[in-house]
Amino acid sequence: MELAVVGQSEFTLGFRLAGVKKVYDITDDNLIEIVQNTMHNPEVGIIVMHNDDLLRLPAQLMAELNESVEPTVVAIGGKGESNLREKIKQSVGVDLWK
Amino acid sequence: MAIKDTIKPTRSELIGLKKKIKLSESGHKLLKMKRDGLIIELFDILNKAKNVRSEVEKDYEIAQQNLNIAKAIEGVVAVKSTAFALKDAPVITLESKNVMGVVVPRIESTSVKKNIIERGYGIIGTSSRIDEAADAYENLVEKIIIAAEIETTMKKLLDDIEKTKRRVNALEFKVIPELSEAMDFIMLRLEEMEREEIFRLKKIKS
Repeated sequence: MELAVVGQSEFTLGFRLAGVKKVYDITDDNLIEIVQNTMHNPEVGIIVMHNDDLLRLPAQLMAELNESVEPTVVAIGGKGESNLREKIKQSVGVDLWK
Repeated sequence: MAIKDTIKPTRSELIGLKKKIKLSESGHKLLKMKRDGLIIELFDILNKAKNVRSEVEKDYEIAQQNLNIAKAIEGVVAVKSTAFALKDAPVITLESKNVMGVVVPRIESTSVKKNIIERGYGIIGTSSRIDEAADAYENLVEKIIIAAEIETTMKKLLDDIEKTKRRVNALEFKVIPELSEAMDFIMLRLEEMEREEIFRLKKIKS
């Protein structure tokens, strides 16, 4: 399995330097399509995205990504909060992420 | 429709209900223990998850800084051409392990950290700034893989905690009380039938 990076070209360039081959540059129009294709690619085990791009996705797709285990989505950068926080609150009933 | 509306007040039904209550209670106890065990596992992994998250964010900042410096000094085209010349992609292998009945992944990676020669671009044509940026991004990818493993484990544990909690609550507040209510109903009905029988016999005798 491989690691895939989805994001603007400034975000993905560094990952290309680390040798990541599955790098998908996005524009405003093709964001949803690329995310969906990457999600359903059986060769992808981890998807790396920028938090700001993740927040631009429709709520349903975002929830699907947050719930997804294979591939796992790791969002970095920006001001987005960890999606695990909400899940902990929902499952345990207490905010343990503090 | 309540259980007591559908059951027949007979002794065999009472015996069956008693068995069901016993089974439900032992299941409830076991599920409660499983839920508590999963929460303890979650606590263990929670701190790791928090630490790895902050490390990922810190490494991302460092990597971005290094990349920006490389872009400023070498130019975007040089950085891009170096990036496209890289040979080996990091490969991840997924294995699984069992935590209290929950199958969680164990992610192992290969070819993430490489030395300059293994990277595949020419050493003379590129500068140390690009090497530093590549190095920082390799560190970041390593941390991301660790974060993915921990976060997936957490997601799976949380899913199972929620499922187990729902089962415990269903048994505690719905199944066991309804079965107990039905048992009480049958016992009352049987006692009443017995009293009626005694009364009938006395009436015949007199």
